[in-house]
Amino acid sequence: MLADLPILSLITFSPLLGLLVLLFLPKQRSRWIKVTAITATLLPLLLSLWLYADYNGVKGGKPYEETATWISTSLNKEAVGDVSSYTLELQYHMGVDGLSMPLLLLTTIVGVMAALASVHIKKRWKSFYIWFLLLEVGMIGVFLARDVFLFFVFFEMTLIPMFFLIGIWGYMNREQAANKFLIYNGIGSAIMLLAFVFLVATAGFRADPLPDQQQMHLSYSGSYDVIGSNLADKDAYVNMPQLAQGADNPLYLSDRMHWVIFLLLLIAFGIKLPIFPFHTWMLKVHAEAPPSVVMIHSGVLLKMGAYGLLRFGVFMFPSQTHDWATVLAILGVINILYGAVLALVQKEFKLVLAYSSISHMGIVLLGIASLNEIGLHGAIIQLVSHGFISALLFLIVGSIYARTGSTELKDLGGLARSMPFLSGVLLTAGMASLGLPGLSGFIGEFLSLLGLFDSMRVITGIAVLGVILTAVYVLRSVLGITFGAVPERLAAVRDVRLVEAVPMIALLAFIVLIGVYPAVLTEPMQHGFDTLLQQLSEKAGR
Amino acid sequence: MDTTFSQAAWLIPLFPLAAFLLLLAFGRSSRMIGVLLGSVSSLAGFVLSLLVLIEHMTKGQHDYQYAVKWIDTGSIVFKAGFEVTNLTALMLVVVTAVSFLVNVYSAGYMKGDERISVFYSYVALFTFSMLGLVLADNMLTLYVFWELVGVCSFLLVGFWFSKPEARAAAKKAFIVTRIGDAGLLLGILLLYWYMPDHALDFVRIGNAFEGGTGVIAASVTTWIAILIFIGAVGKSGQFPLHVWLPDAMEGPTPISALIHAATMVAAGVYLVARTFDIFQASQTAMDIVAYIGGFTAIFAATIGVAQNDIKRILAYSTVSQLGYMMMALGLNSMTGGIFHLFTHAFFKALLFLGAGSVIHAVHTQNIQEMGGLGSKMKITAWTFGIGALALSGIPPFSGFWSKDMILNIAYHEKPALFVIGVVAAFFTAFYMARLFFLVFMGKPKGERHAHESPPSMTGPLIVLAVLAVVAGFVQTPWNDTLGNWLTDGAEQENGGGGLVMVISAAIGLLGLYMGWLVFVKGMISRDFVSSRAPWLVRLLERKYYIDELYEAAIVRPLRALGGLLNGIDDYVVDGLVRAAGGAAFLIGRGGTRMQNGQVQTYGLITAFALVILIAAVALRRFW
Repeated sequence: MLADLPILSLITFSPLLGLLVLLFLPKQRSRWIKVTAITATLLPLLLSLWLYADYNGVKGGKPYEETATWISTSLNKEAVGDVSSYTLELQYHMGVDGLSMPLLLLTTIVGVMAALASVHIKKRWKSFYIWFLLLEVGMIGVFLARDVFLFFVFFEMTLIPMFFLIGIWGYMNREQAANKFLIYNGIGSAIMLLAFVFLVATAGFRADPLPDQQQMHLSYSGSYDVIGSNLADKDAYVNMPQLAQGADNPLYLSDRMHWVIFLLLLIAFGIKLPIFPFHTWMLKVHAEAPPSVVMIHSGVLLKMGAYGLLRFGVFMFPSQTHDWATVLAILGVINILYGAVLALVQKEFKLVLAYSSISHMGIVLLGIASLNEIGLHGAIIQLVSHGFISALLFLIVGSIYARTGSTELKDLGGLARSMPFLSGVLLTAGMASLGLPGLSGFIGEFLSLLGLFDSMRVITGIAVLGVILTAVYVLRSVLGITFGAVPERLAAVRDVRLVEAVPMIALLAFIVLIGVYPAVLTEPMQHGFDTLLQQLSEKAGR
Repeated sequence: MDTTFSQAAWLIPLFPLAAFLLLLAFGRSSRMIGVLLGSVSSLAGFVLSLLVLIEHMTKGQHDYQYAVKWIDTGSIVFKAGFEVTNLTALMLVVVTAVSFLVNVYSAGYMKGDERISVFYSYVALFTFSMLGLVLADNMLTLYVFWELVGVCSFLLVGFWFSKPEARAAAKKAFIVTRIGDAGLLLGILLLYWYMPDHALDFVRIGNAFEGGTGVIAASVTTWIAILIFIGAVGKSGQFPLHVWLPDAMEGPTPISALIHAATMVAAGVYLVARTFDIFQASQTAMDIVAYIGGFTAIFAATIGVAQNDIKRILAYSTVSQLGYMMMALGLNSMTGGIFHLFTHAFFKALLFLGAGSVIHAVHTQNIQEMGGLGSKMKITAWTFGIGALALSGIPPFSGFWSKDMILNIAYHEKPALFVIGVVAAFFTAFYMARLFFLVFMGKPKGERHAHESPPSMTGPLIVLAVLAVVAGFVQTPWNDTLGNWLTDGAEQENGGGGLVMVISAAIGLLGLYMGWLVFVKGMISRDFVSSRAPWLVRLLERKYYIDELYEAAIVRPLRALGGLLNGIDDYVVDGLVRAAGGAAFLIGRGGTRMQNGQVQTYGLITAFALVILIAAVALRRFW
């Protein structure tokens, strides 16, 4: 039944339905606007849950894919060799596999929770939610797109709404933060686009014989599968040096070019991830964007960096990744320790969390650098887990700010007395963040470290120091907020309302669920992900 | 196969877990629900544990193991499961028994605290985690519960969260043990990659290491053993990670009895015993365990002499006694370590609960402000006295037998450690005498309305006092019941330690006598030492300045590094970003300046550019 529906497109574009309704609502009707927007985020959640349920059932069956030709133009290009005509075909190609399924669920779940958390937004609800829903379309699309240009379009689609969400609804220095965000990420996107153009122009071709059987028709496309298989196949046209060809091979991608593209992708996605030293933009976003937007930003948008690195960097360039595994691991360790030490001295809770994100993304890099089944599972679980945890933490930040008007650590204290529920949730989220077993953080962290330990003992040993430092900064900040004496000013604050408690409990439930029963993530990951892994180990020459 | 109680052992931790979940949901509705659920669930666990133990004692029950998939990444599976062996059966009974008694005791001690339901839910969560730790059939499952007990300990130390000291102590407890946990985690990683089939369950670990078969290289074995031991050092408060345990006394006293005396802190000893085959395969690791244990025993005992806080004295005593247990393990005697763990659990829980009863009555923890309580609190005084005698190693109380066994082994294996053990035993007896005489004898000070505690508190004291007397008879020089049963006859106690027994008893009596001379008779002045060597007393009072050392060597440099990196992050890393942005801006402005609409400027620029162009082309020839 589900197979007959264009389910992936429905999931991606269902938020637009809400957007359409919003357009016709008068902007003063804040209640209607909120209800509509929250409902609109529920649509992709329900659809993706449906997909998830169906997906697990048809193990080994046909993967979900949807294709349509999007742009097709014939290229006026000189005929070379057997090739007589060229076309450029950009496909609308969506697909889901073990790599994207967990992240799709993360996105749709965090989307709903962030929409609920946006009740703290004080002004211009209508345009806020319009941008919000557009952002969600972009995020979902990123994880489902299977064509590099489609991916790029969705990727860009997240930038513009984020720019406005930060710039209009943020805190004091919101405009500066928004500019920095847009420009820095724009540079990243430009680099990514360059890499993609290289890929399409070289590896992204499919050769079809013309009816006369003599001449070939070459169609360029951004298809992930085509590029991937051309790059992987040693005998593919693109990998055959000019000399071996006998004649001129216009599509030849030299080894050096492989490296160039790989590095471009590493930088492009490294900015998003973020990898040290490209992280400064995200500190501003964490500090200046409204908490519900940071839930999306830290919970989902940062994951696009790691996802892109995995899908385009690691799986398309396995031998480059393999050669640079040590570099990736070292970058990961730097992220972990640098983020942790800096989180230790921050005075503003949001910045503690920002540096903590840097530290936790370092663990993802470690998992990727392991290049084995355990570590890569760890990396993806860590992505999802960190998404839920940081979304929950910023949800709490929003609730705290709404009551106390501050998230400076020195202004806060003793909240456990007046807000026992919120404090309990904060403490649990903190525990999840520092990798307490039984909660989701541990699974990702443990698997990443275990995977890396096989090939890099010493680096793993150093990374484990991060485990200790994480405990220090989490407890310092969380206990600083919840324990101790209550400042006079905060004695009368009220605990959370139902509308805040519901997303908190929901996110906590997912964190506990993954921690106790990790099969909820590992099971869908078996689809497609295992074949990717197999290819990876073959190609990496292991 | 007949169903046995061992097969149902997985139910034991589920009772307290159910209690925890129910309290989480309904805890706020009633104050009594916590007491009820906590006590009933731990009692149920105790009954089932007792059945399991009896089964293992009488029928010669085989070990029972059962595991399910936990993390499954396709071709690699991590399991979670439970295993009942003689050792785990014994631990189950100890944990559930002390837990039950503490639950009952807390009904009186915590009465009137508005968050009593929260307290009971934490205790239930702890009991669940501790039982999970004991039952775990593999290293990973054990690690999971190992961390969970740590968190429960943290929550309960910080139970009175408004006090800044409680907050600091909770944080310290968590972070210091976390250092040990990081070691344990690395140990597990190493074990995983070296074990045949990447197995992590104790049965196969035992097989791989047993008898030094050489399946795993000797150096790797030593590394694994040491890393696991680091975990044990953190949890069991061994030097140099002992600093958290005395501070953990900020928690409610029943917690000190349950977690920081009887069960969780013994988990390190249990861990070493559980992976004993690994340790036995590496003599280096065994020596490290023995010497760290012996050093901790005497180190902490000397500090205990100079403290004035009743709970801290007992805490240092716990550290010291755990040192004895480690020493026994390091001397290749699992029986000795576990036997002392067993007796210590009862008499130290008794002492802490007795101390709680005292604190409940006088509302201070400073023993210098107490006195003459013996006549007002007869039950507390008598039971505390029994606990003190057991701890001091006076025959026939339980502590005598287990300590004598350890000293006997040390005497035969490593005489140096025997001497250390004897000296530490003297200090133990001395500080207990000091504590007992200052609190219960002499003239009353301060609080004059002290009265005996309610039956809910004295009841557990009496039960524990009985256990503190009789628990030692499971293993005496003439009767190897425990050793035979625990190690399947592998460890035969070399009996006939008559000399050691005499020394051990004599040194305990000497310590008590000295204490009596100083603090009751006044034959020796109390400031005998402090007047002659004030630095020595200061050194002991300040706990050898270990905390200060850590502060100066680790905490401050780390904070300074953080500050430094914060500056770099702001001015260098982000500074470069800003500089790049600024440069682009400047170039743009420069460009604007050039296009000012004056033909002269354009001409000048054109001429200038032409010169450069010509120069470039011309110079290219010489390249």
